[in-house]
Amino acid sequence: MNPFSYLEALRLAAPETALAVAALAVLFADLGGMRGESLRHRAILGAGITAVGGAMALLWLGFAPGYGTIAEGVLVTSPLTQLVKAGLVLLTLLVAGLSLDPRFTGHVGEYFSLLLLGTIGMMVLVSTQDLLMLFLALELTSLPLYVLAGFNKRDRASAEAALKYFFFGSVAAAFLLFGFSLLYGVAGSTRLPVIAAAVALKPPDALTLVALVCVVMGFGFKVAAVPFHLWAPDAYEGAPTPAAAFIASGSKVASFAVFGIVLAQGLGPMAGGADWHGFTTGWLPLLAVVALASMLLGNLAAIAQRSVKRLLAYSAIAHAGYLLLGLMALATPANRPAALAAILYYAITYALSTVGAFGIVAVVERATGSDAADGFNGLARRSPALALCLMIFLLSLAGIPPLAGFLGKFYVFVAATRAGDGSLSLFWLVLVAIALSVVSLYYYLKLLKRAYVLPPDGAVPATRPDVMEFVVIGMTAAAVLGLGVFPRALLEPLALAIQQAGF
Amino acid sequence: MEAVFFYLFAAATLLCGFLVIANPFSRNPVTSAMFLVLTIVSLAGLFVLLHAFFLAAVQVLVYAGAVMVLFLFVIMLLDLQAEERRSFKKLALAGGGLAVVVIALLAHAAVRESPLGTAAPPMVEGSPRALGKLLFTEYLLPFEILSVLLLVAMVGVILLSRKEAK
Repeated sequence: MNPFSYLEALRLAAPETALAVAALAVLFADLGGMRGESLRHRAILGAGITAVGGAMALLWLGFAPGYGTIAEGVLVTSPLTQLVKAGLVLLTLLVAGLSLDPRFTGHVGEYFSLLLLGTIGMMVLVSTQDLLMLFLALELTSLPLYVLAGFNKRDRASAEAALKYFFFGSVAAAFLLFGFSLLYGVAGSTRLPVIAAAVALKPPDALTLVALVCVVMGFGFKVAAVPFHLWAPDAYEGAPTPAAAFIASGSKVASFAVFGIVLAQGLGPMAGGADWHGFTTGWLPLLAVVALASMLLGNLAAIAQRSVKRLLAYSAIAHAGYLLLGLMALATPANRPAALAAILYYAITYALSTVGAFGIVAVVERATGSDAADGFNGLARRSPALALCLMIFLLSLAGIPPLAGFLGKFYVFVAATRAGDGSLSLFWLVLVAIALSVVSLYYYLKLLKRAYVLPPDGAVPATRPDVMEFVVIGMTAAAVLGLGVFPRALLEPLALAIQQAGF
Repeated sequence: MEAVFFYLFAAATLLCGFLVIANPFSRNPVTSAMFLVLTIVSLAGLFVLLHAFFLAAVQVLVYAGAVMVLFLFVIMLLDLQAEERRSFKKLALAGGGLAVVVIALLAHAAVRESPLGTAAPPMVEGSPRALGKLLFTEYLLPFEILSVLLLVAMVGVILLSRKEAK
């Protein structure tokens, strides 16, 4: 083994280190110097330090990217991981921009430091090839999210959200750890390539299958796929809105990226098959069932929701189903680069539109006092700009051209169709997904109808975003529109990075 | 000889672990905590069999000692009378039993189909020196991430457990 180089480790982990330092700085600055200040000032300081830390990390990722491997895969950085990490930091900064009016808590320092620490977890999550590190990073991603979900201590729903999220999360983590330990038993190593070599030796037996099911359960919880989705609606609804935006955006991108890495690089040889009439053992049939259930339940249950946050939660479950379809396309090695690019493009644009949508929910919630769909009645008359942004986000989520959501779905569906070397083996799932996308249009349009057609209910106070909220919502809307019109802006760097990462 | 001790400690671990969560004779949380101590000590015995003497010592000192004292403090400070009177729900019992049976069947099938290897157990270097070397080279980054994780846990617990001023 090569001698361990601390300088090299620091160089490769510099962006994460910058965020960790920023997290500590926020904590100390808020606890030390800002006791008597108003909540608003403390939030501005917290978000400011968060922005500085995030900017340092972004600068490092952009201008001094170090590529390399630490300790045989404990930390791996490649152009691909750096690109995804930059996206994660950007999402965190957007969420921080939505958090400048933290009415839900008096603990501003803790709030921003947990945001930053959770982001570190996500960044490590996407740049490791080692199951031990992966599990720790997953916990570091989840733990801040549990706390953030329960941040509003004056609200019972927030406590309920945190508790449900935590219980489901800890059980899922236990299953994941059990699965990992079985994989370690099979391969004798926690490194993904070694595991891939070990499972390739023989057809999957009961032991590897139990491990596989446990792993899919663990990740299924993180991405909120049916039947591991039960936490999502309550967590989204009860959590403070900026925290919900964080749960719904960055952690989804990171979880899907790492799920894809584990399936493709660790369990690739035991993919099996999910043809309509010929399921063969492996993770493909497993994911096919989970994806089908997620798309069905997510889209159908969303129709009945009266709370906009719950609606976004069920829509997130449905989107998890579409994204799982993209993951299934990873099973064919020749198809992998295109499938991975499609997944990441989809996940990032989805996260952008979700952050924007939650931003609008936050503004409306502040004006009307709840996130009920009724509060959106006549939004176009109260605030035309907000209504326009809402239209962009919802139509993108529904997958209407020329918005980014349409292209994301298009690329994922194309990748899934090409899976299995042109045998159209997943075509039946793609057909279901397209049909259910049409269903999803119904509930998105129902909300838009409230905003554009229905008159406002009586005397609703003016619905105005503050400056940063307006900037964040405007930027995400512009990004969703821009990436839809010029998808190459994101796809080309992604394709290049995937190629350089040797996928 | 080693095999005898292994089965002894393994059986003790499982039995005590069961008694922690479902003791048919006592519903007193303090009894549960004491059985948890026994579980931890039996685990330490398993570590000794793996030649991980340092880990065994730490296991007893930190977990059976320090952590369990805190556990007992908390249990005695909280009023857990209600827990003692609470009766099992039949449905929950049936569900738990079903889960145990299914998992046992799965484990049985898994072990039967993939026979355990017959290779000699690897010699673990359990000296503090070897452990420290690993922690500061190969496992340095996981170690650091773990420390950040503990920071998150600390911040979260203090935040969530403090009474909010109205």
